[in-house]
Parts: sequence; structure tokens; C-alpha cells
Amino acid sequence: MVISLSHLKKYYQVHEKEPGFMGSVRSLFHRKYQTVKAVDDISFDIDEGELVGFIGPNGAGKTTTLKCLSGLLYPTSGTVSVLGFTPFDRKNNYLKQIALVMGQKNQLWWDLPAQETFLLNKEIYEIEDGEYKKTLQILVELLDVEALLKVQVRKLSLGERMKMELIAALIHSPKVLFLDEPTIGLDVVMQKNMRDFIKQYNELKKSTILLTSHYMEDVKQLAGRVIIIDHGKILYDGKLDSLVKKFAKHKVLSIVLDEYVAPDKLEAVGELVSYNFPKAVIRVPRSASNVAAAQLLQKFPVDDLNIEEPDIEDIIRDVFTQKK
Amino acid sequence: MNVYLQIIKGTIDEYATYRLSFILWRVRLVVQLLVVYFMWWALFSGHNNLFGYSQGAMLTYVLFSSFVRPFVMGTRTQEVAEYIRSGSLSNYLVRPMNFLGFCASRDVADKLLNVLFAVFEIVVLYFLLRPQLFIQTDIVMILFFFAALVMGMILFFYFSLLISYMGFWTPDVWAPRFLSFVFAEFFTGALFPLDILSGPLYLIAKSLPFFYFIYFPLKVYLGQLTPIEILQGFSIGFVWTAGLWWLAVIVWNRGLRAYTAEGK
Repeated sequence: MVISLSHLKKYYQVHEKEPGFMGSVRSLFHRKYQTVKAVDDISFDIDEGELVGFIGPNGAGKTTTLKCLSGLLYPTSGTVSVLGFTPFDRKNNYLKQIALVMGQKNQLWWDLPAQETFLLNKEIYEIEDGEYKKTLQILVELLDVEALLKVQVRKLSLGERMKMELIAALIHSPKVLFLDEPTIGLDVVMQKNMRDFIKQYNELKKSTILLTSHYMEDVKQLAGRVIIIDHGKILYDGKLDSLVKKFAKHKVLSIVLDEYVAPDKLEAVGELVSYNFPKAVIRVPRSASNVAAAQLLQKFPVDDLNIEEPDIEDIIRDVFTQKK
Repeated sequence: MNVYLQIIKGTIDEYATYRLSFILWRVRLVVQLLVVYFMWWALFSGHNNLFGYSQGAMLTYVLFSSFVRPFVMGTRTQEVAEYIRSGSLSNYLVRPMNFLGFCASRDVADKLLNVLFAVFEIVVLYFLLRPQLFIQTDIVMILFFFAALVMGMILFFYFSLLISYMGFWTPDVWAPRFLSFVFAEFFTGALFPLDILSGPLYLIAKSLPFFYFIYFPLKVYLGQLTPIEILQGFSIGFVWTAGLWWLAVIVWNRGLRAYTAEGK
């Protein structure tokens, strides 16, 4: 077991300020505090080499959990163990084996070429010359940034900078990698590049990766296992496929018609989600999908028919709305 | 060790990126120095001695303060408040590095550059203005002078860090820092030697840490302190240094617990 979390809680005291100038003055003398349960009693274990997607809406507690795991936050209660260490002790031997990449924070030296930060990290992590050159070579090739090494960081595009952040974070070949929204703000092509890289890296180095994102595509493409969190509590922890089976109560039938059929006739089979002749999409209960499909083929001039699982986004949205 | 060299090198490279800013900053300091210099020069016209200082000693004090100031007070530690506020402190905490070592290395880079420029400026000003400078020849006093500089440097480092550490609890650290600048400007003796103050004010100045930033080292250099006064100065300065160091350790540990790694 590489990562083990047990009954982790992290509560914050946040002070409430009333709006306006008088509110500011009042808050100087009398402050009202509110407890925010950012993470509220969560437990999970992650094995070596696993790539786990950690998803949830904004403010769900994903980042807080990552910060507890990487030793930045002191837990309110519960135990956290990563590679046998207690993260908050921030022992050098622990920090040498992990990396945290925050999509919105950079560790790169802003006014200098990224290379300078890599060199600094080489010294910080005490990496041998040969090892350093080899790792850098691999990372630079995987991410295709050879030409950018000598360019000042502030002159790089967001996507290029993110790649450099990844290199800086991976130069010491960490065993455990925490990625907090690594694709945030990137365009679709760059998102895919980033995902491909993370996947390749996981296969290449067999490192354990915990990745947060609110782009479902990231999680779909990358992680076999997902942990869904909302309001500080875990709603689901398991395989992505099982999530679909567990929570999707419907299937989606997509048909292409040869001739026009009145919408109300299609309504008789199931819920008509959309109808743009010749295409129609009908939602039916999971158990009745086969019967409905047969019905459609028999009664209507169907040219093509597909039985599909609903979109994973829809399922997760259902999960979130059900639990509220 | 190489970690710190790499930080120093990077910090100097950063200054090289903002060459113009740096040069203008130095120009500002030279102008400021000249204002104080000519004020004293004018005050001395027709006098051989003012407040117990000869003209040479006073002008030496003023010129050399521009060397002592960057040596002791050249710092980048004001950035620490910003690291805390923005949450980028996290980037330092998740790496197996000594954060204080990082801050100190950046300070060394800052001091190196500024002291280098200050020495150059003093030499140029000396040949332009030709003042009668007091040159200390007693090797013991010179050693004490450097000891006082190092003590002032360490004391100032923790003092400045502590102000930045307030960022753990409040996002506006600028007000206390600015206030401390105003106090420091007066009580460090950067504008005038503190012993020209009246008795009670001088006693207050002597009990503050600022006293040991600029005034104390310069007085040691000028050889105007008795052995007892030197011993006394080092003792009080040491107590301040140890006290602020101890406070900085406690505040840092508490601060980390309160640190919410904000800004996501």
C-alpha cells in the first residue's frame, strides 16, 4: 500500500465579513467564524503503480486532500500515510520520493529559462549528472520541448509552461505523483498531449499517480479507478466501468430512420431525448433496453440502431445531485 | 552546498534581467547619499567639531553607511509574505530543501550585488569629493567591525523574516513593514549618528534592534566606542539576535500549522 488515508478530516475556520465599509470596520472588532469542512472523514488506499482519478466539483475537497497527502496541510484529525511516512513531518527522505504539480502554481523561475529551475532541482534532489541527463532527455522527448529549454519561462505559452512544470516536478523520478488539475486552462489539443504524457509516464516509471481534474475526459482516458468526492465526503470509489453499472439507470438508444415517424410514436418506446430526422435519441430504463430495441426494429423503418451507455458526465452529475 | 550556489546564481541572473531597475535603484541611493553628505558638509562650514564629530569622522560615517546598509539590510525576505499570501510557498515546502537556506542564499545574492556597487560608488565619490576620510588602521577594530556587520546581518534577517511571517495570519503585511521602514530609517542611524540624539531618545534607540543594523558597526569602525561599550553592544545585539531567531522558529512552526496553502 503506497497511500493510505484513514478518517481524514480537515476543517478550516473562515471568518465571515459583512459587505461594505461598515462591515469591514465591524469585522475589525468582532469577527464571526464559520467552520468549513473541506474534507470530512474520508478513507482510501492506493496501491503501487495505480493511476487514480480524483474528481468532484469546485470546492469538493480534492485539492485539500492532495495538500494533506503532500505534507502542506496539517490534518484536523485522522491518519495519513504515504510510502510509510507521515507527510506533515516533511522528512527529506519523503519529499525526495514525491512530487506535487499544481496547475495554477508555478515552481519555475519566472524570469529565467526553465533549465535553471531544472538545475536547481537537480541540486535539491541530489541527482547524479548522468541520471539527470538521462531523465531530462526522456522527459524532453516525451513532451517535445527541446527548443524551449533556453527560453525565459515568462515568454512561454501556458501549455508550454505546464510541460516545463511537469519536467521540473519529474526530474527526480518521484515514486508518487500528485497532479492537481494538470490540464486546467489548456486547449483541447494540449489537454490530449498532457494526458498521453501522463499515461506514458505511468507505464514507463510504474509510479503511483493521483490526479484531480474536473475535466471528465482526463479521468476517462487515464484512470481505471476513480474516487468521487463532494462536500468533503467520498461518494464513490471504484472502477469507472462499475460506476456506470451502479449509477446509470438508463441506456441510450440512438437510431437512424429511413422514413419520417411522428415523435409521439417514438415517445411510446421511451423518453425521446432528441429528434432531428433522420436521427433520434431515446432513453430507456436499463432493464428494458433490449425489449425497446427490438420494438424499435420491428415497428419502425430503422436503418441503424445503437445501444449506448449514457455519458459519464451525466452519470456523475446524477451522483452529485442525488446525494445533495 | 551546490543548491545554495545555484540559488545565488539564479538570483543574480534575475537581477540581470532587470538591469535598468537595478541601476536606477542604485542611482536613487546615490542621490539620497549625496543629500545627506552635502547637508553635513554644509553644517560643518565654519565648524571643526559638531556633536563631538570632526568633519572627517562625520563624512566617513555618511559615506560608509552606504556600504554598511546593503551589507546588513540587503534582503529579499519581503518576498516571503507574498509566497505565503499567494500560496506559492507550497512549491518550496514540497521540495526537500531548507527554506531558510533558500532565503539566506537569495539575500547573499542581493548583498553581493549591492555591496559591489556601493564600493564602486564610494570610490568614485571619494575621488570626486575628496573628503578627509577616517581610515581605521587597528586590525582588532576592523575585525570587530566585521563581527558587528555579521551580527547586524543575522539580526536584520530574522527581523525582516518575522514581519513577512505575519502573512500567515493576515494578508496585509505591507503596513507593518512600511512602519518598520520608517522606524528603521530613523533608528538605524542611516541619516545621522544616533549619539547626537538627546539622552532619553538615545537610550530608547540603544535598546531597539535597529541600533545594531548600521549605527553600531559604523561606530566600531570609527573607533569611537570604549571596550566596555563594544562589549555591551555585542551583548545586547546578541540577545536581540538570539531572541528574534527563537521567535522566528516558533512563529514559523505555528505559521505552518495555520498555513492554508491558499490560492488553491
